[in-house]
Amino acid sequence: MVGAERSVNELLDDMAVKIMMIEPGDLSAVGELLEVLERLTGHEEVASRALLLQMASVYQEALQALIMAELPDTAESYQQLAECISRMQEVRRNPEDQRAVAAFCSHLQSIGCGIDPARLSGGGQRQGRQEDKDEPEFLRDKELLECFIDETGEYLGAIEAQVLELEKAPGNSEAINAIFRAFHTIKGTAGSVSLPEISSLAHAIENLLDEVRSDRISMDAEVIELVLAVDDCLKLMVAHVQDVYENGVAYQPAAIDGQLALISGVLGKKCGAGRPAPAEAAAAAQDAAGEQPPPSAPAGGPVPDFLKDSDLLSGFISEAFEHLESIELNVLELEQNPNDPEIINNIFRPFHTIKGVSGFLNLMTINRLAHATENLLDDVRNDRLTMNSGIIDIVLGVGDFLRTMIQNLSDVLDKGPQYYQQYDINDFLVRIRACQAGGEAGEAGEPVQPLAAVPPAREAEAAGPAADPPVAAPPANGGKTVEAAMAAAGPAQKKNIEAAIKVDINKLDGLVNAVGELVIMQAMVRHNPLIAGLSDPKLNKDFSQLTRITTELQKTAMSMRMVPIRQTFQKMTRLVRDLSKKTGKLVNLVMEGEETEIDRNMVDSIYDPLVHMIRNSVDHGVQTPSERRKRGKPEAGTVRLSAYQKGGNIIIEIADDGEGVNTEKIREKALQRGLIQPGSSYAEHEINNLIFLPGFSTADKITDVSGRGVGMDVVKKGVEKLRGKVELQSTPGEGSLFLMHLPLTLAIIDGIVVRVGSERYIIPTIAIRESMRPKMDNYNTVQGRGETLLVRDTLLPIIRLYKLFGVADAGMDISQGIVVVVENEGRQRALLVDELLGKQEVVIKSLGGYMKDIKGVAGGTILGDGRVGLILDLAGLISASEEMGPGGLNPSNAIEQ
Amino acid sequence: MATIEQAQKKNVKALAGKYLTFDLGKEEYCIGILKVREIIGLLEITAVPHTPRYIKGVINLRGSVIPVLDLRTKFDMEAKEYTERTCIIVVEVQGESGAVLVGMIVDSVSEVLNISETEIEPPPTFGGDAVETDNFLGMAKVKGRVKILLDTDKVIGETGLGRQAAA
Repeated sequence: MVGAERSVNELLDDMAVKIMMIEPGDLSAVGELLEVLERLTGHEEVASRALLLQMASVYQEALQALIMAELPDTAESYQQLAECISRMQEVRRNPEDQRAVAAFCSHLQSIGCGIDPARLSGGGQRQGRQEDKDEPEFLRDKELLECFIDETGEYLGAIEAQVLELEKAPGNSEAINAIFRAFHTIKGTAGSVSLPEISSLAHAIENLLDEVRSDRISMDAEVIELVLAVDDCLKLMVAHVQDVYENGVAYQPAAIDGQLALISGVLGKKCGAGRPAPAEAAAAAQDAAGEQPPPSAPAGGPVPDFLKDSDLLSGFISEAFEHLESIELNVLELEQNPNDPEIINNIFRPFHTIKGVSGFLNLMTINRLAHATENLLDDVRNDRLTMNSGIIDIVLGVGDFLRTMIQNLSDVLDKGPQYYQQYDINDFLVRIRACQAGGEAGEAGEPVQPLAAVPPAREAEAAGPAADPPVAAPPANGGKTVEAAMAAAGPAQKKNIEAAIKVDINKLDGLVNAVGELVIMQAMVRHNPLIAGLSDPKLNKDFSQLTRITTELQKTAMSMRMVPIRQTFQKMTRLVRDLSKKTGKLVNLVMEGEETEIDRNMVDSIYDPLVHMIRNSVDHGVQTPSERRKRGKPEAGTVRLSAYQKGGNIIIEIADDGEGVNTEKIREKALQRGLIQPGSSYAEHEINNLIFLPGFSTADKITDVSGRGVGMDVVKKGVEKLRGKVELQSTPGEGSLFLMHLPLTLAIIDGIVVRVGSERYIIPTIAIRESMRPKMDNYNTVQGRGETLLVRDTLLPIIRLYKLFGVADAGMDISQGIVVVVENEGRQRALLVDELLGKQEVVIKSLGGYMKDIKGVAGGTILGDGRVGLILDLAGLISASEEMGPGGLNPSNAIEQ
Repeated sequence: MATIEQAQKKNVKALAGKYLTFDLGKEEYCIGILKVREIIGLLEITAVPHTPRYIKGVINLRGSVIPVLDLRTKFDMEAKEYTERTCIIVVEVQGESGAVLVGMIVDSVSEVLNISETEIEPPPTFGGDAVETDNFLGMAKVKGRVKILLDTDKVIGETGLGRQAAA
C-alpha cells in the first residue's frame, strides 16, 4: 500500500461512482458521499482553488438539503447531482471553465436547490464586490460577456440552420445532437456569466431534446416549432444583453415563464403519462426485492455470466473481503454498544455496497442475501427492530456465508468456471424474515447488553460523538433524522482512512528484486579493481551520493511491502468473542499499536501463532467470572494484544490478567515426561518455556478449544520459521505474557559473512553469541571424535562446517580457525569456520522449490561480487550435525547424500 | 502392446516443432525451443550441500538464484573437464509451485532445428533399467543423424528430482 493522499481527481471519481449507485430513499449512501466530499474540501489542492472549494461547499449544502428532505429525494435529483460532479471534474481540469460552473449551477437549480450563482461566478475573491447591486451581475466580467455574446450568437444561428435541416430529414440524429450540444453550451455559458433566465430556458429545451435524442418523443412539427421559437427568444434575450453591455441600457430580465410552460407542456403531453415517477418506482422495487428475488435473477444457469468481466470481478472480490472484515469488526463493536447508530450504519453501508456491486455483476445469490440483511439492518436503524443477539448472530453468520461464497468466486476466477458453486441462502432468508416478523410483533430476543463491564478506551471514544450528534434534527422526521445526524457525525469520526493504491503484489516483488539487484550492482561497480584504484574526489563523492540514493530507494521499496498489523489483530476480535461465549468467560480484547507495520509476507504466517496464543490466554489464562470475583478481580478478564517496534524487531505481546502459568504443574508434568531431571535446578522461566515443546500440556481435560499440547508447539514452530522467537513470562495470580520477537522483514537478514575454504556462508546475526579464535587448552575430545570447546565454563559441541557441508579446501586445524558460538532453541554450538569476512545486510533469495528443505540452508543471497552465498539455517544445521554423528561426513559423501 | 505404440505414434504428432540441439559426448540431444530461456557461459557456481551429486549448486542469474545441474552426471555419463564451449542452458520447468528456472550444464550447444513429425519416432524400450526412457519424448532422425528429444520436465523438473531422491 502506498500511503499517499488521494488526489482530488480520485475523490471526485469516487463520488461519481457513489452517486451513480444511490437509490432514492437511501440516505446513508448520501452520507457516504458527504464523507468523501468532506475529504475533498479538506484537500490541500482544493483549498488553494477557491472556485472548486466554493463548488464543493455548494454541493455539500445541496446534499445536506437532500438529507433534510428539503430537496426531492428522487432519481432525477441524483442524476442532476451526478452531473454536477462531472462539472466539478471539468473545473478541476480547467479552472477557467466558466461553462462548467454555469452548468453546475443550473443542474442544482433544476432540482430546486436555491443557490446563488454569484457565489461561484468567479471564485471566492469576487465576493467582496457583491455590494454594488446596481450593476447587473453579468456585467462584472466584460471579457467573459463579450465572449458569451459572440459565441451564443453563432450557436443560435447554427441551431436555426440545423433545425431547418432536420425539418427536411426528421430522423437525422446528427442534427439533433448538434442542436442539443449547442443548447447545452449556451446553458453552461449563460450560467457562468450569471444570466439565469437564458440558462434555464436553454436547460429546459435541452431536456426536451434529450427526450428526442433517446427516442422517447419524436421530432415532429410541434417540437421543431418549439425549438425555433426558443431559438428566437434566446436571440432576443442575447441581443438585449448586448444592448445593456454596449449602450448601457437598463437590464430587463426577460419573462421566460411562457416559453418554459410551453416546453414542459410538450414534454408532459408526449411522454409524461407513460413514465412512472422514478422515485416511486425505485422505492417500490426496493420493497419488493426484500420479499422475493428480483425478476432478473437467473434460474441457476450453469454458465456464470459474471465471469465476463474478470477484472471487475476480481476487484469486487477483494473489496468484498475488506467489506466483510469491516462488517465483522463493526458487529463486534456493536455488541459492546448495541445502541450506537453510527455502528449500525457502518455495518449497513458495506452490505449496501456488496449488494450494489454484486447486482451489477449479476451475482444474484450474493445480491439477495446482502439485500435481505440490509433490509434487516434498515429495520434496526429505523427502530422497527431492537438490536438483539439473534440479529447479531444472523449478521455474523451472513458475513461468514458471504465470505464463503466470495471465496468460491475467487476460486472460480483462479481455476475456472467448473468450480462454481451454487449456495443455498434460503435458510438465512427465512431466519432474517423470521427476525423481522418477530421484531414487528414485539417478540425480539433479549436486547443486547454491553458485554464488557469496562469498555476499552477506544470504544468509549468512538461512542462519544455519536451519542451527542452535532446536528440537531427535527424530531418529527423519524428515521431520517437519525440518519442525517449520523451522516453528519460520520465524517468526523473517520479520520484514519489512508489514501492508497492497490498494486499487484508481483509487480511489487519485481520492484523489490530489481532494487536489490541495483544495490548489488552498484557495489560491484564500486569495488571493481579498476574503479577502486582511482582516487578522484569527484568520483568518490558521486559514488557516495549514488549509494545514498540506492539505499533510500531500497528502503522505500521495502517499506512498500509493509502493512499495518491492524487487520491481523482485528481478526482476533472475533476469535475472542467466540471463545468467550464458548467458555462462558467474560473477556475484553484490548489492542495497542495496530498501526505497527510488518512485512506483508509475514501477515499470514503470524496468524496461526496468534490464534493459538489468544486461545491459550482465554482458555487457560483468564478465569471464569465467579473465580475472578473470588480473587477480587473484575469479572471480565482482559487480553491485551500489542505490537511495537524495538530495534530491528517487531514485538508482539499477548498479555492476560488471568491466573498465570502454574510453574509447579509444568515442573510436575515435565518430570513425569522425563524432560527435566529430578533434583536439578532450573530457573522459573526455563520451566515455563517448556510449554512450547510439542505435546506438552498441563490441562487436566482436553476441551474443544485447547489442551492437546499442540498449540504452543505450533506457535514456536511458526515464529521460528519467521526467524523470530517467542517467550513466556508469567506472574502467578497476576497473568501471563507471551512475547513474540519477529524480524522487521522477511526479505532482509542481518548476517555475518564467514569463509569456509572457497565458500562463503552467512550466519544470521540474531543467532550469534560470540566468536573467537579457540585456545587449544579449552579443546577436548570424547572418544577421540566428539569435539567440544570450553567457552565460559560451558562445554560446547564443535561443528566443523566444512565437514558438514563437504567443503574440500577448508582449513582443518582448529587453532587456525575461528569459532562462532551460535544458539538455536536454547542449544549452543561452536561452528568452526576459516575466517570472518564481515557484517552485512543481505537480501534473502529462495533457492526455489527445486531445492527447498535442504538441511542447514535457509536460502541464498547475492554477495557483493555477484556470487551466490548460502544463508545458514541453524536449527537444520544443528540437527543435521546430530544425525550425522560426531564424525560428520567426509566431503565426498556429503554431496552424495 | 500395439495400442501403446499407437498411442505413442499419436503423441509424436504433437512433438513436431523447433528444437535446440546440444551435445553430450557423442550424443545429440534436443529440447523444445519454447522451454529454453537463455544460454549462458559457465559462471561461478556456489555448491549447495546435501544435494544429489549432479546438482552443481546455484548461480546468480541477474539477481535470481537458480539451481544448476550437470547433465552428464545426471545421465551417469563419464565426467569431463569444462571447456570454453561448455555452457549452461537455462530452461523453464514445471515445479509444484509453477514454472521455475533451472540451468543445465552441457558440452556445447549446436543449432536450432525444425523437426517435422515424420522424422520423430517414439523412444525405444531398452531392457532393464539401464536407461530411463521416461526421460525422453522420442527420437528424431534428421539428415541421417539421431537426436534424442529430452523431456525437461521429467529429467530435471521437481518430479524428476523427487524420483531421484526417493531412489
